[in-house]
Amino acid sequence: MDQVNPWLDPSEVRHLAEQLLRPVAPARLAAADPGFDKAFVGFTNPNRQSVETLPPEEEATPTPPLYQAAPPEAPTAKIPPGIIVTNEPEPAPSAPEPEPTQRTIPNLPKPVREEEQAFTPAPPQSAPTKTRFLKRIEIFRNWLAKNFNATDIFILDREGKVIFDESGHGRLHFMARNLALASRNTEVQGGNVHVKIGPEAILEVIPCETPYGRIVLGALVPEPLAAQHVGTITEVLVQTASPG
Amino acid sequence: MLICANKSHLFPRVISIAISSQKGGVGKTTLSINLAHAFARAGLNTLLVDADPQGSVGLSLTRQSRLLSGFYDFLADPGIPMERLIVPTRLETFSLVAAGQASDYEAGNGSSGSHLARVRAFLRNASARRYDVCLIDTAAGLFGVTNDTIASADALIIPQQAEPLGIRSVPKLLEGLNRLRIINPHLNVLGVCLTMLQKNLAESTEADFSLRQLLPPEMLFTTSIPRDDIFIRASAKGLPVGVMDGGEGAEAVFDSLRAEIQGKLEKSQQRTAFNAH
Repeated sequence: MDQVNPWLDPSEVRHLAEQLLRPVAPARLAAADPGFDKAFVGFTNPNRQSVETLPPEEEATPTPPLYQAAPPEAPTAKIPPGIIVTNEPEPAPSAPEPEPTQRTIPNLPKPVREEEQAFTPAPPQSAPTKTRFLKRIEIFRNWLAKNFNATDIFILDREGKVIFDESGHGRLHFMARNLALASRNTEVQGGNVHVKIGPEAILEVIPCETPYGRIVLGALVPEPLAAQHVGTITEVLVQTASPG
Repeated sequence: MLICANKSHLFPRVISIAISSQKGGVGKTTLSINLAHAFARAGLNTLLVDADPQGSVGLSLTRQSRLLSGFYDFLADPGIPMERLIVPTRLETFSLVAAGQASDYEAGNGSSGSHLARVRAFLRNASARRYDVCLIDTAAGLFGVTNDTIASADALIIPQQAEPLGIRSVPKLLEGLNRLRIINPHLNVLGVCLTMLQKNLAESTEADFSLRQLLPPEMLFTTSIPRDDIFIRASAKGLPVGVMDGGEGAEAVFDSLRAEIQGKLEKSQQRTAFNAH
């Protein structure tokens, strides 16, 4: 025992092992999770398939191009029930051009170029910097709410910690983290993912690469966002989260 | 008694078993190959999948492994038909899928979650081809594709070399597996199988004893794999140990392990059925 015991905490090891042998309560991942409080709109149908049980056809599609979103102008009625992962190819050239974003994007600081970033270490976040950053996030939040009827907006950092939150739903963050992780592709920027959680509520999750690393935007919207809108939001979020 | 079909949680027919460890060099590939052979000899339609980018299963069993498309090619392009990946063997019930040519690219193993859907698509395809058991030899460590494989599998076997250093890594592994069970709550951790046990070496037998003291008995297989030169001779010839001259003893060890696994799976199926009522 001497060669092993001094290096380990036997009670901890036993506890971890016993935990593995116990069945995980199904409620832990059940779609109709009672962990959401009464304000939460809830899931439409707990029996619908989850993101981890996509039909094989979904998988047969080639690796998607750079950031991608729901089909443009996808009407709610045609959307399959349950979770929809929208890593679909970009619309054909004949598809309507994305709306020019300049009119609607608030005046945000210019993003730091990659080559500049490589030689400029991120300064420690002093109080005024932090305030400025939160102010930019606030502007972004208002823009998102106004232009896309988004509510319950939150932003998580690359470790899943909350940067900004107005939803107050920890379980919503957990779900967004998992969805973002499941949609993640190492070769390209991750596409958005959305899941219908109520009759008129879609949780839209948009992973986004910023100079500070990957962040995840989550928001409730009345219907899935079109590809060009996701592109616009990503662009604005990158600007917002860039050192300015 | 054979594994009952249609008991997988995620896939209609096949029982998928990941073989994973925190440390490398613990005998995962040897265990995978010979266990798969034991299942196949018992009459179960068995698919052995090499999910280790090092490609050790392929290198052990086929000279063409560097030319074969395999598991990582499927992850890169799920449009590849399974027929192009499956390599039959002389034993009708035993087939394998090599790591493939995309494995060099994937050596970094990506980030966890990035291949989850594709690993599951692969297992669905295996299920559709009427395999009863799919054994997946993963890369060491709990990250990347290995995590996605464990998060997709029905069951898990943890080979653990009977030596003190390996046993010190057990808590880290258990912690990681507990985290993975949040993603895959149906994962049935079949237990730790001690490998390379040397009965004539005090450190090895003490490590065996220590682990049996530490873990609950259900968490450990009673069968241990001994260190034996015949494993090296078998891999030199590209054969499972059971078909080697003088391999009867080693074959019996893997038959015993196979029987233990089937017993554990049946027990957990009964438990699940009982809980459902």
